[in-house]
Order: sequence, then structure tokens, then C-alpha cells
Amino acid sequence: MAEPLTLAVFRADLAEFLHQRPDDVDLDENPLLAGLDSLRITTLAERWRAAGVQVTFLELAERTSFGEWWTLLSERQAGVSRGDA
Amino acid sequence: MPDQDNGRRPLLAAQEGIWTGQQLDLDSPAFNTGEYVEIHGPVDTTVFERALRDTVAEVEALNVRFVVDEGQPWQVAVPALEWRPHTADLTGLADPRAAALAWMARDMDRPVDLTSEPVFGHALFRIAEDRFLWYHRVHHIALDGFGLALVARRVAETYTALVEGRPLAPNGFGTLESVRAEETAYRQSERCAKDRAYWMERFADRPAVASLTDRHALPARTFLRRVVDLGPEDVEPLRALARELSVTWSDVLVAVTAGYVHQVSGARDIVLSLPAMGRLGSVSLRVPSMVRNVLALRVAVEDGDGLRDLALRVSGELRAGLPHQRYRYEQLRRDLKLVGGTRRLSGPGINVMPFEYDLRFAGHRSTVHNVSAGPVDDLSVNVYDRAEGAGLRIAMDANPGLYTEAELAAHQQGLLRLLREAVARPGRPLGELRPLTVLDGGPLPGPVRPVLARIADHAARRGGAIAVEHDGRSVTYGTLFGDARAVAQRLAARGAGPGTLVAVALPRGIEAVTAILGVLLSGAAYCPLDPAAPASRTAALLEDAGPAVVLTFAAHAAAFGDHPVLLLDGEDGQDDERAPLASSGASDDLAYVIYTSGSTGKPKGVEITHGALAHFVTGAAHRYGLRRDDRVLQFAPLHFDASVEEIFLTLCTGATLVVRTDDMTESVSGLLDACGRLGVSFLDLPTAYWHEVAYAVSTGAAALPEGLRAVIIGGEAALPERVDRWRKAVGPAVRLFNTYGPTEATVVATVADLHDPDLAAGQVPIGLPLPGLRAAVLDGELHIVGDALARGYRGRVADQARFAPLPRLTGSPRAYRTGDLVRLGDDGQLYFGGRADDEFKISGHRVQPAEVETVLLAHPGVREAAVVGQVLPDGTRRLVAHVAAESPAPGAAELRDHLRAILPPAMVPSAVRFTGRLPRTASGKIDRNALLAAEAPAAAEAPGAGGSVERAITGLWEQVLGLDGIAAGDDFFDLGAQSLQAIQVANRLGVELGREVRVAWLFQYPTAAELAGFLAHEDHKDRRDPAPGPAAPALPAALLADAVLDEDIRPGGGTRPTGAPRRVLLTGATGFVGSHLLAELLAMTDAEIVCLVRAKDAAEATERLRTSFAGQRLPWPADEGRITAVPSDLSRPLLGLSADRFAELAAGCDAIWHNAATVSIMRDYSSLRGANTEATRRLLGMAAERSVPVHLVSTLSVAPPRSHSPEVPEAFLPAHSGLVYGYQQSKWASERLLEQAAERGLPVTLHRLGRVTGPAGTGFVNQRDFLWSVLRSGIPAGILPELFEAEVWTPVDYVAKAVVRLSLTAAAGTVFNHAPVPQVRLDDLYDWVQEYGYAVKRLPLGRWREELPRSADVAATTGAFLDSWTAGSDDGDEPDLGLGRVRADNVLRGLEDTGIVCPEADRALVFRYLDHCVQTGALPAPPEKKPLAGKPVSQGNSEGSRSDY
Repeated sequence: MAEPLTLAVFRADLAEFLHQRPDDVDLDENPLLAGLDSLRITTLAERWRAAGVQVTFLELAERTSFGEWWTLLSERQAGVSRGDA
Repeated sequence: MPDQDNGRRPLLAAQEGIWTGQQLDLDSPAFNTGEYVEIHGPVDTTVFERALRDTVAEVEALNVRFVVDEGQPWQVAVPALEWRPHTADLTGLADPRAAALAWMARDMDRPVDLTSEPVFGHALFRIAEDRFLWYHRVHHIALDGFGLALVARRVAETYTALVEGRPLAPNGFGTLESVRAEETAYRQSERCAKDRAYWMERFADRPAVASLTDRHALPARTFLRRVVDLGPEDVEPLRALARELSVTWSDVLVAVTAGYVHQVSGARDIVLSLPAMGRLGSVSLRVPSMVRNVLALRVAVEDGDGLRDLALRVSGELRAGLPHQRYRYEQLRRDLKLVGGTRRLSGPGINVMPFEYDLRFAGHRSTVHNVSAGPVDDLSVNVYDRAEGAGLRIAMDANPGLYTEAELAAHQQGLLRLLREAVARPGRPLGELRPLTVLDGGPLPGPVRPVLARIADHAARRGGAIAVEHDGRSVTYGTLFGDARAVAQRLAARGAGPGTLVAVALPRGIEAVTAILGVLLSGAAYCPLDPAAPASRTAALLEDAGPAVVLTFAAHAAAFGDHPVLLLDGEDGQDDERAPLASSGASDDLAYVIYTSGSTGKPKGVEITHGALAHFVTGAAHRYGLRRDDRVLQFAPLHFDASVEEIFLTLCTGATLVVRTDDMTESVSGLLDACGRLGVSFLDLPTAYWHEVAYAVSTGAAALPEGLRAVIIGGEAALPERVDRWRKAVGPAVRLFNTYGPTEATVVATVADLHDPDLAAGQVPIGLPLPGLRAAVLDGELHIVGDALARGYRGRVADQARFAPLPRLTGSPRAYRTGDLVRLGDDGQLYFGGRADDEFKISGHRVQPAEVETVLLAHPGVREAAVVGQVLPDGTRRLVAHVAAESPAPGAAELRDHLRAILPPAMVPSAVRFTGRLPRTASGKIDRNALLAAEAPAAAEAPGAGGSVERAITGLWEQVLGLDGIAAGDDFFDLGAQSLQAIQVANRLGVELGREVRVAWLFQYPTAAELAGFLAHEDHKDRRDPAPGPAAPALPAALLADAVLDEDIRPGGGTRPTGAPRRVLLTGATGFVGSHLLAELLAMTDAEIVCLVRAKDAAEATERLRTSFAGQRLPWPADEGRITAVPSDLSRPLLGLSADRFAELAAGCDAIWHNAATVSIMRDYSSLRGANTEATRRLLGMAAERSVPVHLVSTLSVAPPRSHSPEVPEAFLPAHSGLVYGYQQSKWASERLLEQAAERGLPVTLHRLGRVTGPAGTGFVNQRDFLWSVLRSGIPAGILPELFEAEVWTPVDYVAKAVVRLSLTAAAGTVFNHAPVPQVRLDDLYDWVQEYGYAVKRLPLGRWREELPRSADVAATTGAFLDSWTAGSDDGDEPDLGLGRVRADNVLRGLEDTGIVCPEADRALVFRYLDHCVQTGALPAPPEKKPLAGKPVSQGNSEGSRSDY
């Protein structure tokens, strides 16, 4: 039902929380050092779950760059599209 | 010696913070955190219990104990084995849930001993067929909220797997070691340095921290909580606003909280405390542990900010601060020197918890409820995101030391109100959303009529009624009005009329009243001037007021120089020119101008219109219930607006004004008598004067006149003490109106009925607004709204600061901002809280002098009191109390004690000045400026009795901080002190002063002067109120006196002994240790040994020595000729010797071994001092002349127990609170005497012994020894008590050798702790007893005593001692008699290469002792016969006179 999560959407979501422009989001940046907190990450996780990607707060919180987030999200999304159960 | 790898690990920084907090109050349960999970479905309790046990075993952080070594805490891994969850089926109860919650509350309330108890607890309650509550408590040192959630999740997983019979997935937990390693790496990282730099810059100016209260309090043991659930109707707009701003809803909540703190405190720089998870990108995400941090969030807030601005600002501040969240809050406080006292880094907390854990227990869903989130320093807002769509739960927790339930409730409401209003209108400035309390005085009783019209009515209709009386004269309404018209016409002829001002400089009297009415009838306004004022003041007022004419008497005319003057007593009165009168008294015309006395700057003329005056008169006359037949005393001088009330209320009512004569106020009784004679029914008095009246009436020195109906007081705050006196003496028959009102609101704005019997004692409200007025309380300050407000100040442009529209009220009415602080009482009335600008800030506290004065005045010895804040040239701020005392005058210390009992320390004045009378201003108010001027900055306060304690405190801080020259007024925390150091200083100070010193006190009183003052006060309190408590008893005064060595015991001029001793003195030679000492002295020296033995003659003395030797199975020496037994009594003067014998020994002895002591574990100090303490003094006296060496044998039991001191130094010991038994005390006093002898240069040594056991070779047992008598009674009964952990054991033969050898070789003044081997653990000893073949069970001491058969053979005194030991102590609460590490370096060094070695007590030695007991029949043979380990060498019975415990 939801739009598939693309890198552009991912960037836009982050940009909103970082108060940046999507193009300025640095995927190498550490979420902690970017100023995110647990509630923001929880909110992002909720949003991405709503987009059909099963990801938990813990999985995001322990990764140390936005790039790693995207890797995880794309893997999960691929898994879903393969009908992984 | 602490080994390096004993499994102990340093604490994580967050744990250290918690540990330190717990040290401040060991009995506090505040660090317990807890939650309960409500499981919606049936639970298999057996399986659940297993899931709990399995999970606990998996969680490293739960299997720990915390130990302290040299003041440093360590974590030790100790498997938690002996615990069980509490399970209960409560379904049979009426309210199972309430019962479960009550159980949780009790459990949460129990402090946890981190050194010996599990840090957690579990309970499972069945509250319905298919409803369970699982409760989980854990000390915050082990887990934070996230850690607790990890554990809960694992319990759910484990339970589910067990129930479903599926394999359990690995827990995925990382190790604590990985968290520690990460923390260590962080501390050394560049990141850490960057983080520190960020915070240091952000808080470089150490901003003042605003809160919702001005009070300060220590962390409390409990907290208050109010919970509210916000439904979608509140949460949806919140989330919508967050989305609109691209911030999170928590940012919005934080912004609202900051805004609320701003509204309440008025501060524009808000610092909130935000708990931060501290786990992003960290290994701790998968480790149940305590790593939580606190973020200090600093936000600027202005009245003009709307929530939208603020939320964005908060969000930006968070984005900037969050990357630095790893840097420890505690460390930042240390870096910024914001530790101790009332220093804070951040204020109220807001904790948003987004982790909604959706736990499933074998498929059953559950909900989590927080029970406690840990200690609450100030106030914290905890926000829980509940299940989807269910909204938010807000739990507001508050420190009960700072907030009452009602205050917390008000803050909860206030915060919610602001949340709703601001979310609804995020653009609206906060200033317009401020909470506002409005009290309405209600409508006026009827139409407002001009005062002149009302008076004219009385003149017309009741012209013959008496209007004014004065000093035997009187005037009717008709005459008064006629005379006034005449005055008016004369004034008009001189240009007075509407828009002009006429100065009235007249004393009270009929003429003055006539003049005032005359001015008003002329259309002009009157301006009363004090005819007795200094010329300069009069000139200044005239200049400012610019009157057209001055009305006065000829006698005062000279003061008005060139101004046109109309003399009321002028001869030309009749022929004076007159002019017709204009219409007068229009509502907007001025009626009068009164100059306020203005304590600072120029006096200001307050302009009151006819409208305002009429408005006031209408409301006030109705409020007071003034009647036509009343007679009202005109008390006030005309230049005070109280005279306006007296004159116009009376005349407008048609009553009679009775003008007082000057002599009436010479005494209170004179005034009251005169009022009686004059039939006065209404008295209007300045409050200051009424205080005297109330006092006189309450003591019977004066009586109220018969016809008195009402008394109106005003002008300053009435003292509760005087009000209570009055109410007690007078009752409700005479009405007492307490009025409050600035001149700017026309005399009186609010009135309270102090005669109301419902008013509680001590309460002095200022009441409610007069009819027609409203009172608005904005930020604590009173604003008055209504038609009685002044037009403004004469000659000035409109004063916008004082008179301004109040937009918060409908229609933005004009309001007068009073500058007075008020609060709304629970009774709905206003209470005066002092002048906003009188407030004096001292150490961060806002002090209202009035509050301190009220408490001072409650002291029966205080007649008048005024407290002023003073700033000394060096910037020190302090309070000075000025007191006029009753006779007998109380002392300053007594008054300060009195204040301390009620007020926080910051409010207790540092100086008290006594004076005959307080200076007062012309209006009778206390002249604070005069007091301030009189209080010349004094030099340093003379050091009080606390001088030596102060020095002890500064000395210790110097040691601990490594600084020199700390002064009594220096704040330790300014000098960089940290919590751990405070703990060290508290411990050492406790030892040094021999009393309890709580760590918390150091935080509360951060200077030596304050702390010493507080300790002195505590002492005083203890003396007054000797409550039996856990605190150590003070040492007996006799003991401290005995511990002082006589001034004349000093090295004398006699020939000093040199070379090997030829003749030595030994005391106590018949004892267990003494006979061995005698044997060793014979063996190791060639000297003659003079033994002082209690006996009637020399023969008996010798016989006692022989008997003692035989009892110990010591061979009687072959060279017995070297032994001289001398009969003596050590407890008597000259040691019971003849003077000659004493002198001869003093002249001939080369050394003294003083070993004798009366050993009793039961007797008190007074019965032991003679034999123990005084004997030492006498022997030192004997030794002094020739500087004969004195070697004192003492006991390790003089040392402070481990709970007081982690180690026993090989040094003389200061007094300490562990000296509780008479024997210990007497031996400590002996040591003190020896210490002073050493300081004076006498060659002394001290030998402290532990438990001296039988000779290692023989297994001989001293049967009178305390421990052995316990064994003897317990072994046959099969039970042994848990007495202590470990103690020092040394065999007697070794001890005797070591003491003699060290005495002969040691440097003078050396202290030896004869404990050169590891302590014997009681557990080991009991193991060995068991191995020997006795079946014994170990019991806590109390239970052991209970279960011990009455017949058990336990020595009477030992039994009594144990009884006294266990009496009143709860389970597991026995005093710890164990010692810390006993240092024995001097002993070990001194015995190096001597061949004298202490054998370690081991299984074989204990077996030899037990063998001995069996052979002597002291113990039955063990039932399970074991081969005897030792050789049966003992024989005969034994008797010793010494036991060394």
C-alpha cells in the first residue's frame, strides 16, 4: 500500500529530521553525531515499517552510519520482495 | 593487601554516580527502580519462576556485589543464587490489584545493601483467573530503564519458549567488559575531548538554574507522583504540530516544559535535565547495564516566544547537544565546579520514553507500568508513549522536600494547561499564556456617589449631628460644612479651583478636617504636608506639587517662604476676600495628592481623583460595616492616606470622627483608656502600633474599651504571633480587619477578617479585594484592577511600569502593579509575601526578610525584629538580624538555634545585633535603610566555639585536596572538591571528632564555618534531646577529661637509664599474657623484674605469680631470685604503694612494661577507669622524672570498626564513635595518655594485641577468652553464632617475645599492631570445628541466643554481653565489630631477622586447641570421633585473668 522505500525517500526522511536538504545528507555520517536521538530513530523505524520494511529501533541504533542503515533497509526490502517469510 | 586479580572490576561512570548518590544516604531506597508488567492471560507460575531464574543467571549486571576499598567502589561478580521471586495468589482479596501495588510499594521502600544483597527482586501476583502482575525491582546501579527493558524482553522470550516447548534463541547479550572497554576507549578519545569542549563552552558562564521552586533540599528517599493520561484529543494536535515543524513530539513537550519553567520562575535562561540513553552506536545496546546519562539542555525563553519558536529552538539545541551526549553529566559538573552546596547544572527533568515494549508471554499480551524511575532531585516529567493510538502517559515526580502534594498538583495542571493552550495557538507569545489568578471583590453595594455630595447630605438632613470632636471641642455636620464652604470661597479668591492644588499643612484637628473639605469644595485638590517636616523636605514637595495656595496656621507659615499662604487662624479671616465656587468634585477631577515616603529616590505624589476616592469610600464603608452611630478615632497624620480612610469614611457615613490628641499615644493603656472615655467604637491603627496594643492587651497590661466594635490595621505585615495573641485575648467580639493597600490604589485594596474563628492560628491573610476591585496575581506579584486606581504620579508622564493595561483580562483593563508578592492560600485568601525588591539573594536562595522576622518574633524573648540583607565590600552577602529583646534578653546563639530549627540554613542571619528599639520611619514602619547604614561592614566574625572543629575540617580538606591555607569561609566545592572526596572527608572527620558526620552534611554546608556551626547545633540538639538512635553515643565526658595527660608529667631532670636495663617494672604478671611476658623478660634480659601484684603482702604476691605460672603450665623460672613481687593496687593513688616504695621504684627502674588491665566486656567506663586509665597516668608519672621507657600493652579493640575505617593504622588513634564499651574506652584513654607522653619526649612504645591464643606448641586454651566461651556453649548445642567476619589471632608465646623484643629495640613513640598474619576468618574456624567432628549449624547472633539452651555453659558476663549486643537490633543488624585491614608494618620491620615469627592459625592449630578443650573436659568429645590431630600435651585446669577481646 505504501510507496516503496527508495534511496531518495530515505534521504528525504533523514533530511526532515536533520533539518537539511536531502542532497546534503551525508550517508557516511554517524546518526549519533548527526544529532539523532532514540525517539527520532524510533519514529524513522516506524515510518519505514509502515513503508513495508521490517526494521527495529535496535537494528538502526547499533549501526554507526546512515549508509549502513540503507544497506540494512535495502536488504530487508529485497527480502520482502522475494517473499521471504 | 588487595590483590590485583580478585574478580573485582571498576564501576562504569554512570554506576559511580549512582554509587556516590547512595553513599550520601545509605538507608535510602531512592535508587530502587521498578516496573510491573500486567499480563493479560493465565501464567504458569512454576515456569515463570524458572524463566526468571534463567534470565537472572544470564544477566551479568544482576549477579554482582559492590565493595569499597580505600574509598573506591568496585563491582564483584557474585552469582545471585539465594533468591526467590515472591509469588502470591491475591484473587481471594477484595481488591487484589491494590494489594499487589501495596506490596510493591513496601518492597520499593526497602533500601538495598549493595555490599551484601542482590540488587534486584521479582514478584508475581495473580490478581484474577487470567490476569497476572509481574513486578521487577532493580537498583539503578545495575540497570537503567533500557537495561530493564532488555531483561524484561528476555524473560518474556524465555517464558514463551519454555511454555511452548521450543528451543530458546540465544539472548544476544554482550558483556559488561565490552561496555567498560568502550567507555575507557571513549575517555581517551578525541571525541571525548571535543564533547567536553562543547559543554564547557555552552555552560562557560555557569548560568543560574531556574526551577519551579526557590527552595533547596537534599535528595529525598521518596518522591511524590501524579499521573495523567493524555488522550488522542491532546496528543493528535501535539503530533500534528510536531509534523508541521519537522520536529518530534518530544521536542514540543520539552519546549512546553521549558516554557512552563519560564512562566513560573520568570527566568529567561532555562536549563532542563534530559536523561539520555547514551547507547546509540554502542555495544551497550545489547548489554543490560547502567549507562544512562543526563543532558543539560539550555534554552533561552522570552515572553514574546510562542511555542513554535521554542520548539524549533529546542530541536536545534538538541541537534547540537545530542552528538555530545556521551560526555558524563557528573564529570561536567565537576569540570564546571558545580558540585555541592546549592550549585546545579540543570533544573527540572523531562524524560521521554519512546520504548513501548510490546511483550508477549506465551502469546498473551501485556502492558508495562512504571513504579519508580529512580530518585527525583527536583521535579521530573516522565512521558510514556503508550500503545498505538492510546496517547501519552505523563507521570510527574517531585522531591517531597521541595514540593507539597498540592504544589505538585498545581504544577501538573499548569503544565497541562500550557500544553493545551500553546499547542492550540503555537504562535501566541508565552507571556500571554501566563497563569493568572484573579480574585474579584464583588460588586459595589450601590451607586458610587461623590464624597462631597454625601457629606452635604448629612449636613442638610442631620445638620445637628456631631461630625468631628477634638480635645473637648466638637463641630456638627452643619457647622463643618458651612465652615468648609467659607474656606473654599476664600481659597477660590486666591485662585484655587478645579485643576489646581492646595497644600494643607495642618496638624490633626477640626480645622484640618474643615480645611480639607474646604479645598475640595473649592474644586481644587488637597495635598497634605507634614507641618513638622524639615524645611528642605517641605520645599522639595512644594516644588514638585506646585500648589496654588498653602493652607496652614500662622505658626507654620514661615516654612512656606514665597508661596501664597492662607492662614486658617489669621485675624483677617472674616474680612478675607471670597469668591463664588465652581462646581466641584467631578469624577475625573483630582481630590488629593499624597506623597509616598519613597524609601529610595524622590518622593512621588500619588494623584487620586474624586471618582477613585468615592469608589473606595463606597466599597470600604460597606466592607467594614461602618454605621452612623459609630465613633471613629482619627489617628493618622494627614499626610498618610490612612487619614483619608478615617475622615472620609466617617463623614460619608454620617458618623463621628474623634480626633486624637497628641498625649493619647504616650502609652497603650493611655490610648485605650482615652478611647473608652471618648466612646470610640472604631479604631484605625498603623499595624506597628497595633502590635504594641495586641501585646499589652494579651498580657493584661491594657484593656480594650467597652464600646469598641472594630479595629482596622494596615501599613505593614501583621505578625502572626501578635495576631494569635490578640485572637486569644480578644476573641471574635471585636472585629479585626487586616488591610492591605498601596496609596496608588486609594488607601485599601484588600481586607481580611482576622477575627474569623475559622482562621487557623499563625495565619495572617490580607484577604480579598474590596468590593469593586479585582486582584490579579501574575508571577506571584499582585496587580490591582478597578476604579480606585490613582491617575498617576504628579508631574510625571504616565508610569508604564506601574500602571498598564492587563491584556490577560477581558477588555485589557488598567492595572496597578504593586511590587508586592502574594500567594493564594488554601482558604482562597491572599497572603502577603514581601516586597519584590526587598528580596535578598543569598547563596542562591531568595530570602524575604519578613519570613525570618516572623520566626524571630515567635521567640518569647524578642520584642521587635528586623532583618536586612547586607553586601560586604568583598561581595559576601549575608543577613543581619536586628533585635529589640525582652528582659531577660536571649543570647545570639539561642536565637540562631531557634531560627535553625525552623528555617533553612541560608535564611539564618550570620549576625544578630541587639538594640533597645528599632529605628522607624515617620510612618512608624521599620526603617531598613537606617539599619543598613548602621550595620557598618564588620571585620571577620569572631571565631566561635567551633574554632577547633573548623580547623579540623579545613585541615582534612587540605589533605584531601592537596591545598594549603583553606579558610573557614571557603567553599570546598569551589576549590574543586568532588563527591568521592567529600565521602573521604566525612569519614575521617567522623573519626577525628568521634561522632557521626554524614556525607550529605558536607554538601549542605560546604564551608568549614557552616559545617562547624551545624555540627555544634547538632550537638546542642543531641544534648537537649537525647533520643536513642542508631547514631553513635557521644563519648563520656569523664573519658575525654581522663584522656588529658597532666601538665607536669614531662621529661624531668633525673638521670636517664642507659644501657641494658638492670631493673624493670612489670604490671599484670599474673595474667595470661603477663606471665608469658615475665618469662620472656627473664629470658631476654638480665634485669631484676619487679612485679606489681594485687596482694596483701609480698608472700601472697609471690604465691599468685607461682599459681599463675602453674595454671599456664609455664615452668617456674630457675632464676626466681630475679623476680620481686611487690603487693600493690594499681587503681589507688601511688599505685597502692608507700610513698617511699614509689619513690624508690621511680629512682631505680630502667623500664616499665604496663600490661595490667581489668578486662570486662560489660562494665562501663567509670568502673574501669581507675585500674586501666589512671594506672597508666600514675606509671607515666613515675617514669617522667628520669625519662624511663614505658611500654604499654593495649588492645586492637580500641580501633574503629571496619564500618568506620577501612584500616587500622599503626599510629595513635583519635577518638571515634566506635568506642562504645567501657573497656575499649579505658584502653583508648590510656593510649591517649601515652601519646601525649610521647609528644612531650618520653620514650614510650605501644603494643596493641589482637586475640591472644594459647601457645602454638601446646594448644593450651585460655578458657576465659570470649570466643572460647562462645564455642564452649555453642558446640554442645550444635549451633554457633555469626559473630564477625574475621579477627587477628596471635599465640601468646609469640606475642610475649615480640613485645619484649620490640620494646627493647624500637624508637621512642612507636605504635605496634601485633597482627603480622592474615586474620582468621570465622567461617574457616567453624569449618574446622565441623571437620573436627562437631555437627554445628551457623545462626545469626540473635537467633543463636534464642536457640541456645538456658543451661548452656556460657560465662555469665559473656552471655550478658551477647544479650546487650543483640538487644534491640533487628535481624542482620548486629554491630560490626570486625576491623578493617590492620597495618603491622612496624611489627614486621622490627622483627626482621630476629627469628621471632608469628605462626598462622590453621586447621592444625585449631585442632590442637580443641584437643585441649576435650582433654580438660571443657568440651565433650566429638560424636564422630576423629583421630586427634595434635599431641595430648595439656594437663590440669587452666585459669587466666586476661582475655584480649
